[in-house]
Amino acid sequence: MDQSIRKEGSLVNTLLLALLTGTVFFAIVVIAYGMDSVIPGVHDAFHDFRHAIGIPCH
Amino acid sequence: MDYLKNGIIAGVLWGLIAMGVNSITGIHPFEYGILHNLITFTTGGAIFGIVAGGLLTFIHNRLPFKTSFSKSVLLTTCLWMILNMGGLLLSSDNPMRYHVEVPTTIQGFALAVLMGVIMGAMLQLRQKIICC
Repeated sequence: MDQSIRKEGSLVNTLLLALLTGTVFFAIVVIAYGMDSVIPGVHDAFHDFRHAIGIPCH
Repeated sequence: MDYLKNGIIAGVLWGLIAMGVNSITGIHPFEYGILHNLITFTTGGAIFGIVAGGLLTFIHNRLPFKTSFSKSVLLTTCLWMILNMGGLLLSSDNPMRYHVEVPTTIQGFALAVLMGVIMGAMLQLRQKIICC
């Protein structure tokens, strides 16, 4: 009983972590390529950051 | 979850270091003020750290090196390269909006390695504290 609860908890944690990592990876892509169509103003807001870390940008 | 927490802390620290490094090298003259950049660099760093830490949780057993330090450096460097390759693809499609600058690319690569070094050093420090 305890073991199955622990297994389930571990699975939920793993799924949540996968969801978080995937979502945040999408956020990286949006910031890195300045996708204003996804988040308006993100291109200008992260302009200096993008240049400093060497991602192609204008 | 330890990798994730570690990634976030390392990412914020890395964002601040990246800001300092770029200020010193002057490779890209900042167009925004220090307060604006403090927010964006720490946010960007934390986001990079979440992805690096999250990925490390899932694939640390499959990475070729033995130590957490080497694994962190490999992962952050690969992650940066993936982002850069995406930028190159976008650049070939729309060179007016995305164009490659060699100095910033070299700086970015060095910073990506540095992110792995910070993450790896923090992981090793944590393991030492837990062990002793």
